[in-house]
Amino acid sequence: MRILLVEDDMPLAQGLQQSLRHEGFVVNHVNTGQLALNALAVPDQDMVILDLGLPDMDGLSVLKKLRNNKADIPVIILTARDSIEHKVKGLDFGADDYLAKPFDIHELLARLRVIERRLGTAKTSVIQLGSVQLDIAAHKVGIDGQDINLSKKEYMVLKALMENAGRIQSREQIESRLYDWGEEVASNAVEVHVHNLRKKLPEKFIQTVRGVGYTVNKS
Amino acid sequence: MSIRRYLVLILLSVITLVTFIAAIEGYNASMQKASSIFDAELKILANTLIAIEAAPEQQDKTLLEAGAQTNLAFQLWQGNDLVLKSNNAPDRRMSQKKSGFTENNFLGQRWRTYVKSSGSDGGRMVILAQPVQRRFELAEDVILSAVLPIILAMPLLALFISLTIRQALKPLTHLTKELKSKKPNDLSLLQTHTKTKELEPVVYTLNHLFERLSGAFERERHFASDAAHELRTPLSVLKINVHNVRNELGHESQAMSHLTESVDRMAHVVDQILMLNRTSPEQVSLDSTEVNLTSLIQQTISDLYPEIAQREQTISLESEEQIIRGNEFSLRILIQNLISNASKYTPDGGAIQVSTARVQERLVLVVEDSGPGIKPEEYQRVFNRFYRVGGDQHNSKIIGCGLGLSIVKHIAVLHNADIELSQSPELKGLKVSVSFTQENNKVARLAANQTTNQAINKVSSTANALLPEDSDG
Repeated sequence: MRILLVEDDMPLAQGLQQSLRHEGFVVNHVNTGQLALNALAVPDQDMVILDLGLPDMDGLSVLKKLRNNKADIPVIILTARDSIEHKVKGLDFGADDYLAKPFDIHELLARLRVIERRLGTAKTSVIQLGSVQLDIAAHKVGIDGQDINLSKKEYMVLKALMENAGRIQSREQIESRLYDWGEEVASNAVEVHVHNLRKKLPEKFIQTVRGVGYTVNKS
Repeated sequence: MSIRRYLVLILLSVITLVTFIAAIEGYNASMQKASSIFDAELKILANTLIAIEAAPEQQDKTLLEAGAQTNLAFQLWQGNDLVLKSNNAPDRRMSQKKSGFTENNFLGQRWRTYVKSSGSDGGRMVILAQPVQRRFELAEDVILSAVLPIILAMPLLALFISLTIRQALKPLTHLTKELKSKKPNDLSLLQTHTKTKELEPVVYTLNHLFERLSGAFERERHFASDAAHELRTPLSVLKINVHNVRNELGHESQAMSHLTESVDRMAHVVDQILMLNRTSPEQVSLDSTEVNLTSLIQQTISDLYPEIAQREQTISLESEEQIIRGNEFSLRILIQNLISNASKYTPDGGAIQVSTARVQERLVLVVEDSGPGIKPEEYQRVFNRFYRVGGDQHNSKIIGCGLGLSIVKHIAVLHNADIELSQSPELKGLKVSVSFTQENNKVARLAANQTTNQAINKVSSTANALLPEDSDG
């Protein structure tokens, strides 16, 4: 996957490039908003890592211009500012994800992989967690190599959880995935799907965080 | 007391008093004037009467009755004989004096009498008498007609004075209104433009003060975000390079894990110090909104979940939808610090429970854990900056700097909330209850306003003091 890294801090950019290349990504680096927009005018990048604090323009304006122009290219925002408004604004402006500095490189890599799988540029389209494999390309789920049958909606719920393994997905977040599918959602739909999924999956694979949502463990 | 009421009252009182004194003075003067006029009249009349050498029979009857009409009484004596008298005059001599003025009583009232004799003892003598009452009446008439218009005009005068004062105080009223309607943290310049000599320096000084204060706040605000940027970017570089070096080494070493740990700890301390600054009153009370506390807790648990899951702890939330008025950013920090504290001090595999409840008009947020808890005698001290339970024997594996609960306290004070520490009855660990008063948001805002000034000093001195202290330790 080709990543455009927009970051004005040279040591950080170099460190990031090294880490990302080590993980097998192709990284191009620019250090101003204008250069980023120029680079994105030609469609040879798969995604963007965008720092909000740029010398020539605000990172949010870069994002806005980018989205106005057309591009539905995935964008992960990096910022040293901790205010929530920035996060909300960033996501409103169409960022796909958001990381606050100093971020954990593993966290960044995990989010890159989610995007990678979504774009279909991943070396493997399979997410393996414990004994469960989810093949995003083939829309298949298996336990220890044995395929199991899931309804479309159950598959969507499981995909949402497994893509975000280690993080909590709230009922609303999962619901919005189902809405994306274009289906009407009953008030207890998510509970019903999770209940059915649990019967088909290993015990304790999907965990409930009472009052918050559902999660599956990373390992 | 309002200046306007004070001025109206004082002015009216003074005017009334002065009018009253003037009336008394005028009354006395009128009385004297009336006396001298009447006296002169009596004199002329007496002289005229005595000059008439006519026989009594020849006197016109009208003369005798004229006295009755003007209240003027007269007697004409020839030696000891009463030759002639007006109808309203008594038979006795009206004055015992030989000549001149005197006052005496007869016929039931007080009279002013004048005696004029011609020549020796046996000669003619005219006594004229006029009731003193007449003079009073005249003086009263004069003074009344002079004072009455003033008394009648008094309400009008009061209204006029009141309106004039109101008009004159308008710039002051305007200024007061503007100052009153200012929000606690609104440091914009005053819009009141005044040419009033007395108010111009006040407005000027206030505006000057506002300008300097907002400049100071601006610097304070920028300090936080500048420091955030300046510190967080190099920290990211550190973290990434530690990761890269690890990759290059290809195997784990103790030095590398110490390095990772220290970088993480430093990142944490920097974060907490910035939080302490960001949650200072002048930064926070700017925008207080309706906040959905429950969804805020859900988001925070989601954000913190990777750490909690890593330690195989369980967390649960028990909460109806609770709306609270406050500052979202700082409330998030409060929840974040409480939950992350609970997770840190609870052993692997432990439990954390978060709940909210309404207790007698108060909204109580409770975070409890199954950790070792805190001894009651340490409850007060844990809110001190850089205080850590157990002091130097503190488990050094736990990343922390002793600022978490200070920040929580900071934010609670801002929201006029109380914090209570106790032992969790169910989980046996620490139970932190933050109770928000729902109805007195106004009070909270006022309190925030009042603490602003103290807090500015406190926070900036903290921010300055923290860094060197930190590098020493």
